[in-house]
Amino acid sequence: MTDAEFREAYWGNRDVLYRFARRMAGSAAVAEDIVQESFLALWHNTSAYQPDRGTLRSFLLGIARNVTLRRLRSDRPYDELEEDSALIAPIDPAGLERSEIIARAVAALPPLQREAIVLAEYEEMSLDEISRATHAELAAVKSRLHRGRENLRRTLAPLLETKGTTHGTKG
Amino acid sequence: MEPKDDPQLRAMLREWQVENAPASLDARVLGARRLRWRFLLTGSMRVPVPVALAFAAALILMGVALARQQRVVTAPTAETAINLADFQPVQDMKVRIIGVRQ
Repeated sequence: MTDAEFREAYWGNRDVLYRFARRMAGSAAVAEDIVQESFLALWHNTSAYQPDRGTLRSFLLGIARNVTLRRLRSDRPYDELEEDSALIAPIDPAGLERSEIIARAVAALPPLQREAIVLAEYEEMSLDEISRATHAELAAVKSRLHRGRENLRRTLAPLLETKGTTHGTKG
Repeated sequence: MEPKDDPQLRAMLREWQVENAPASLDARVLGARRLRWRFLLTGSMRVPVPVALAFAAALILMGVALARQQRVVTAPTAETAINLADFQPVQDMKVRIIGVRQ
């Protein structure tokens, strides 16, 4: 990969990777680290990307999710990445903006459900693309999406029928 | 279940918007890959404690061994030094072979 090709890859995918990392990690600083590590991994091993096996975006998202999950395992070694029966703890919406409640609900999902939701709902990736990026079977992706949505519907039920900016505020 | 089968949930999730990558990231990514060789000057690496201890012990042992060696091989003093200034090769060398006793 030449310098020009790398730059093109960077400018074309930096925002997608950053948004993904930001939503997965929950912190801007950590998201920057993840994106930097992902692009440097591409630069140091450009032969790993094979265009016939998927888009560069899927490939880079695959690297970013591996970096993210490695960090999550390192930070919380006893937490399961995928909990089949995991139910999100209720979120107290008092005084929170709607967007903050949604962010907390997504952040509370088990990591593998979270990545499926982020890629499908925010990055609008197809099931095939998610499957390639996450190195998971199609059935597993569908299952994670289904469980993730169920969890979010349950947690965000109070918001689904309401409109407004904040919850629980008086006045 | 397909990703786009719940428009109400999707619309609500979209209320959480995340900003794009900050400009500071550009320098970090595009700059870092050029400066790979700088690792030799400014890089750091993690070393397991047992390896570090073993390395330190090996260095100390080598130092002690070198110090002992220097103590044994002392420089010749003026009294013990051999002056080779008048050294002459043997002019007429007669070799006498001493037989081995049976």
